[in-house]
Amino acid sequence: MESLDALLERAPTLVKGTATLDELSEAEAELLGRRSVVAEFQRGIGRLPPEERPAVGKAIQEARRVLGELIETQRRRLETERERLMLASDRVDVTLAALEYPEGYTHLITSTIEEVCDIFLGLGYRVVGGPEAESALYNFDALNTPPTHPSRLESDTLYLDWGDPADEILLRTHTSPMQARYMESHDPPVYVVVPGKVFRADTPDATHSPVFHQIEGLAVDENLTFSDLRGTLAYFAREFFGSERRIRMLPDFFPFTEPSAQMHASCFACEGGGQCRVCGGVGWIELLGCGMVDPNVFEWVGYDSSRVSGFAFGMGVERIAQVRHGVSPLRHFFDNDLRVLSQFR
Amino acid sequence: MRVSLNWLADYIDLPSWDPVVQANVLESLGYEVEEIDRLAPRFRRVVTARVVEVEPHPRADRIRICRVTAGEEPMTVVCGAWNFDAGAMVALALPGSTLSDGMEIGRRAIRGVVSNGMICSERELGLGEDAEGILVLDSETPPGEDLAGFEALTDAVLDLSINPNRPDVMSYVGVARELSAYYRVGYRLPDPDFPKVDATPRIDITIEDPSGCYRFVGREVWGCEVSSSPFWMRTRLRASGQRPISNVVDITNYVLLELGQPIHAFDLETLGGAGIVVRRARTGERLTTLDGVDRELTASDLVVADRERASALAGTMGGGVSEVTGRTTEVLIEAASWDPPTVLHMSKRHGLRTEASARFERGVDPQLPARAAARAAQLVTRLAGGEALRMVTDVIAREDRMVPVTIDFRLREAERILGPGFDTARVTDLLSRLHLVVKGDDPMKIEVPTFRPDLTRPIDLVEELARLWGYNNFPERVPRGPGGGRSVAQRRIRILRRALCGVGFSESVSLSFMRAAEIDLWGWEDRDERARSIHLKNPLREEESILRTTLLPGLLRVANYNHSHGLEDVAIFEMGRVFLDRPHPVLPKVPDQPERIGILAAGRLGGTGLGLSGRQVDFYTVSAVWRAMSRHLDLGEWRLDPVEAAGWHPARAARLILDGEAVGIMGEIHPAVVRKAELAGRVIAMELELDPLVADRDHWLFRAPSVFPPYTFDLAFEALEELAAEDLLAATVAAAGDLLESARVFDEFRGPPLPDGRKSLAINYTLRAPDRTLSGEETGKALRSMADAARAVGAELRGDL
Repeated sequence: MESLDALLERAPTLVKGTATLDELSEAEAELLGRRSVVAEFQRGIGRLPPEERPAVGKAIQEARRVLGELIETQRRRLETERERLMLASDRVDVTLAALEYPEGYTHLITSTIEEVCDIFLGLGYRVVGGPEAESALYNFDALNTPPTHPSRLESDTLYLDWGDPADEILLRTHTSPMQARYMESHDPPVYVVVPGKVFRADTPDATHSPVFHQIEGLAVDENLTFSDLRGTLAYFAREFFGSERRIRMLPDFFPFTEPSAQMHASCFACEGGGQCRVCGGVGWIELLGCGMVDPNVFEWVGYDSSRVSGFAFGMGVERIAQVRHGVSPLRHFFDNDLRVLSQFR
Repeated sequence: MRVSLNWLADYIDLPSWDPVVQANVLESLGYEVEEIDRLAPRFRRVVTARVVEVEPHPRADRIRICRVTAGEEPMTVVCGAWNFDAGAMVALALPGSTLSDGMEIGRRAIRGVVSNGMICSERELGLGEDAEGILVLDSETPPGEDLAGFEALTDAVLDLSINPNRPDVMSYVGVARELSAYYRVGYRLPDPDFPKVDATPRIDITIEDPSGCYRFVGREVWGCEVSSSPFWMRTRLRASGQRPISNVVDITNYVLLELGQPIHAFDLETLGGAGIVVRRARTGERLTTLDGVDRELTASDLVVADRERASALAGTMGGGVSEVTGRTTEVLIEAASWDPPTVLHMSKRHGLRTEASARFERGVDPQLPARAAARAAQLVTRLAGGEALRMVTDVIAREDRMVPVTIDFRLREAERILGPGFDTARVTDLLSRLHLVVKGDDPMKIEVPTFRPDLTRPIDLVEELARLWGYNNFPERVPRGPGGGRSVAQRRIRILRRALCGVGFSESVSLSFMRAAEIDLWGWEDRDERARSIHLKNPLREEESILRTTLLPGLLRVANYNHSHGLEDVAIFEMGRVFLDRPHPVLPKVPDQPERIGILAAGRLGGTGLGLSGRQVDFYTVSAVWRAMSRHLDLGEWRLDPVEAAGWHPARAARLILDGEAVGIMGEIHPAVVRKAELAGRVIAMELELDPLVADRDHWLFRAPSVFPPYTFDLAFEALEELAAEDLLAATVAAAGDLLESARVFDEFRGPPLPDGRKSLAINYTLRAPDRTLSGEETGKALRSMADAARAVGAELRGDL
């Protein structure tokens, strides 16, 4: 019979030579199984003289330990290898989009409104809404618009066949009626932005829609001057269109502000001159109308125009979204084509 | 208004005539420049030449042989035009020249006569539309000049957009006046002198309606000859966007553009009865205006009439009968001052917006008519001959309108709105430059000339100060408000929107209208609030004639749009107002206009990919969306009650009851509606009131998860078809009591071995205690009481416990 030493001598080659877990099991049976040399020694231990038994017993234990570790090490190695092979055959095409979760998108009008409002929230403004079906009282009278003003004509304003005809209920032509409604019910200081739908008597075409969206801004406080209007709008332009933006203001005319202005921001897509898809090469983008609140508006809502002053502005949501993202023509905002909606975010 | 810089130079000397520089200056003053139109001749080698003699062509009747000289030996040119004779100064295209359309002119024989070039018409030179005859130049023009070198032909025209409050700038003199304020230089008015004759005017003028007419100046010129106006005037009018017609008519347009005072010229001999009356029209009276339209007048129209009939629509357009024609010799020049709202009303009512009405409806300086009538008479005598009468008929009905307004102005007004720095010196300087008369220190008395009807209040002067100081010369300052941010409802709307996007729905924004046909489509009864819609008084199209009473037609339209573009899987939502025929609960006088949320889906929805293509939407989709919404919004007590409603699937729709109140409907849209909307398959929708969903709620409270093992099991029940799954679930859940962690229906089954009218529902339950492992005794007890509770609502446990 083979000696334990001889066994231990050849065991590493045997064990490490196995290539599969099955082969390793066979080797294990040969080395430590019932018919193995180790088992034979174990069985023969009873026949030994008592004084030899401890030494032989110890040698057997030691051989079992060494062989056991050898086999375990090899088993782990083979198992690792088996897993490696298995995983290697589990390869996927990482470029394949095999699963799509359903996703929905916020409409560009909404996300633009949210972003603009967020900017003004940072300046301490409040967001308020208001009725879309309005009375001529708030849409025009309160805003210093004379009874003969052309904007009141049916060619410009959509009137409703509802209520007392004398009240001239209409679809608001701007978000400005909320200036009057808010001031009527709140004392100064007032810092609000009013996003919402507005309506005009326009047939839909590339640049017109009977419905579009505006964001009105109103600030009324003690000591607000034209400089505050300029500074606020410049701040907005830089937040919304980029920190390099400059603004310019040109005189304009609105019944409910004086002085009135239109505000332009320097183009974010070019340096001016040449062909530019955004500004047409002018270097400036017209963004909104604004001005200092007319004293007649303050008088109408019961504010003392000698004590407070303020400014207001109104921007077209589709307009600024178009400028920034190039969405054109206008109908893409309202067709709700899923191929367009999925571009919005 | 189109402003030719060549013409403008008559009235002001500017430091630069670069059109870009002037466009920037004008924009900074508030006049948007929509376009800079650079005019330059496009022809080459065209010279001025005098026609020496004209002879008939021996072999052709319709062309003539001309001998023309460009300063040297006369040469022969064949010409087909007849509007000139010997002595005329013409534009001659020499052999080798090029016309504006690129055509080259050579020497060629026409019917046997060699023509050494061509006498050109305005159209051939690209100067105008006139191709009737050749261009006849002023006879003083020297021959042999290169026509391309004529200064009048190289010009820049600024297309100015002028705000409605500044009628005074709608003229060359007005623009010059603005620039004079900017540059601190003077401006010039045209020379008023011309010879006059003493005679008694033939026409006597009466203003019957002083509310409509403040002033009427009539000026007569006798014995003039109507022909075409000189080249320089035609060129200027064309550059300014006016089509030349005849000298007298062109002069009226010229004076309108020069001074801003619309002028009308009547053929004096066609006026019946030697008198003019300004009056309101008689109802049913008719007038054929210069544009050939026969108009029926009403008592709100103001007319200039002779003794017999209306002859012009005041301040808007003349009439055909009294029109100046080629036969006219006696002319009455009208320069009047009309009431702006009257003119606005007439021009809108008749759909007639003219250069005249555009100015009158904004207010023309009542001091202008006399000067403008004189200027027109001067030009008529100069260009059309005849004699102007010294005596002018100037009827002033409203003296009050002729007086300048005075405004008391305190410096504080300027400082409060514009900030520091607007002291007496600066304010005086700025306002004086605008030709306002400034008196006193603080308060100042500011006298406003009558050409500035827009300046009546101190704030109007503040704007002028800011404008002339320069809007862009103010420093920037950012004030901060007291806060307030978004309301609870606004914040919760954002949560809702995010929840819907998260389950695959995209936001849609529709116009707020619907069509009558869409009401029919849904089959709502007349008394239904959705059928009782609010109509527009002045809709432009049928599509936008009714306000929406519900979001659903708009959503269905979006589904249809996408479907027709090959996109069949649609999942959208919209939040917005609907308009109901009842008073607003809070705001007086306006209709109720609550905000709603609508959702709609068609086709398949869910994860897609290899072996996955989503799930065909059905009732369970919409109720799942609702449950997602309710979880995100943390809504408490709600239930779905089956409902039969017009437009909805009779067996697959439910009313949502939230906190005891009905807040809307969800379900499958009736297949008949789906078919009429040209869609196919199941279409699901939901429409809920938004306010109750986003109203403020108690905060949710945290529940610590149990560390003890769960007891999970399935139970299958058999019940009558009518038993609602939710009722069975609720009953068993209640019986499980506090131990219940979750319960979910995972199977619904009909058919053998179950008898007809019965169904099986299988539910998966998880029980767990927060503080212990459940004993077999506890779970057994719970199961028995759940089975009992099921039996109480009519469901039998299938199999044993």
